Amino acid sequence: MSAAKRPSPSLTLLLAASAALGGQKSVRADETGSTQSVGYRFNVYDEDSFSGQPVIGSPERYHVDSQQLALNTGIGDRNTLTVDATHEVMSGSSPWYVVPGPDNKPIQVLSGATIRDHRSAVQAALTHDAGANDTTSVNASYSAERDYHAAAVGAEHATPLDPALTLAYGGSFSHDLIRPTDAELYDRIERAQKNTLSAFGGLTWVLNRSAVVESGVQINYQNGYLSDPYKLVTVGDDQLPDTRPDRRTEGAWLVRYRYAVTADAALHADTRVAMNSWGQHSLALEFSWYQRLGGDWQLVPGLRYYAQDSARFYAPFFAENADAYFSSDYRLGAFGAIAANLNVRKRFGHWELTAGAERYHSATSYALGSSGVPDPAVVSYTRIYAGLDFHFD
Amino acid sequence: MRPDPRTLLLIAVVLLAGCATQPVQPWERGRLARWDMRWDPDPLQAAMTQHTYFSKEGTAGEIGAAGGGCGCN
Repeated sequence: MSAAKRPSPSLTLLLAASAALGGQKSVRADETGSTQSVGYRFNVYDEDSFSGQPVIGSPERYHVDSQQLALNTGIGDRNTLTVDATHEVMSGSSPWYVVPGPDNKPIQVLSGATIRDHRSAVQAALTHDAGANDTTSVNASYSAERDYHAAAVGAEHATPLDPALTLAYGGSFSHDLIRPTDAELYDRIERAQKNTLSAFGGLTWVLNRSAVVESGVQINYQNGYLSDPYKLVTVGDDQLPDTRPDRRTEGAWLVRYRYAVTADAALHADTRVAMNSWGQHSLALEFSWYQRLGGDWQLVPGLRYYAQDSARFYAPFFAENADAYFSSDYRLGAFGAIAANLNVRKRFGHWELTAGAERYHSATSYALGSSGVPDPAVVSYTRIYAGLDFHFD
Repeated sequence: MRPDPRTLLLIAVVLLAGCATQPVQPWERGRLARWDMRWDPDPLQAAMTQHTYFSKEGTAGEIGAAGGGCGCN
């Protein structure tokens, strides 16, 4: 795990809110899709190895096999319950620290022992529809790894402002507990905590008979231990623990657009601009095309571009100890990524098969602004998945 | 590679072509109600995808997300 990276539960709320936004609800009043279903997914995530690069340690990077199971059911006339469970098995080597090589070219040092861990998570959400597209949702989640536990609760409300415009807002709180493995052996912190408080607000606007747009703002505030206990930083001739500020405030502006281009095709366009108090900015652009084919087949190709700049205290390595904070985690550095994905679906009565793949290629040359010294740990990966849904109605 | 402002402008113009607003009556919302017009037609897959992005990218605030926990290295 990486202590500083944990999905904000409030973003889950934003997703839930998006689904529940009255504008969408109202257009879904005559929706033909099922609201009661059971779904299963199997995902294989595999990072590219460090082939061709000078590294110290195993060049084989992370591999994750994930299984997901979800139940979506009605309770009475006005309530919907969604329960998701996830189990992941992770293995491989992880970037540990970077040392300067000849001409100051960075050489990646990887974790000495191959990591083997697993994560189990469960999440439940209950949504009450009070009528007239006025909805309230509450949710809770819990995730457990050998060294990381996270618990979160949240709530949100959506209410129509007029027939075309719906307001949604909400908030959440999460508490995470970190107990790094081999803490004594590697002089890591033995136990730490962090809290995340999130709030969001958004508007959904039905533009016309074929288009709807959503715009929202998300604010996250974190405090506690936000460093990564498993990473070191080269400072001069020494390797010191990754040390980050104990607070971070993040803000993001999100816009999502759906356009029914024809009776059998729809365009999805999503954008996000984000920034945080550590000095990072990012841009994400995502496009998908949903094409219905004959015989209940569906084809969904998609493209995504992502770019970020670096945190103020990031560098692959430091010549001297000039600041209170320093990190060599590539996720805090400047890089960008281009991802392409393809999903194929086929419906057989109540059953629906889905399968797909994603190729994610990242590079420091895609970054926002100057990337400085390229970080050798920037990751590219391939992901494949398959799944089966059963729709009760 | 950085985004070309002219390309972004062109994309915006194309997208906004579908943004002409018209009052929409309830019986005119058939297209909007389609499965492929949902924000996330496949929530399970969207959750996994966003969880992966969260694990590998430096800024939060992704469009939709997975639940808590990390599972990232």
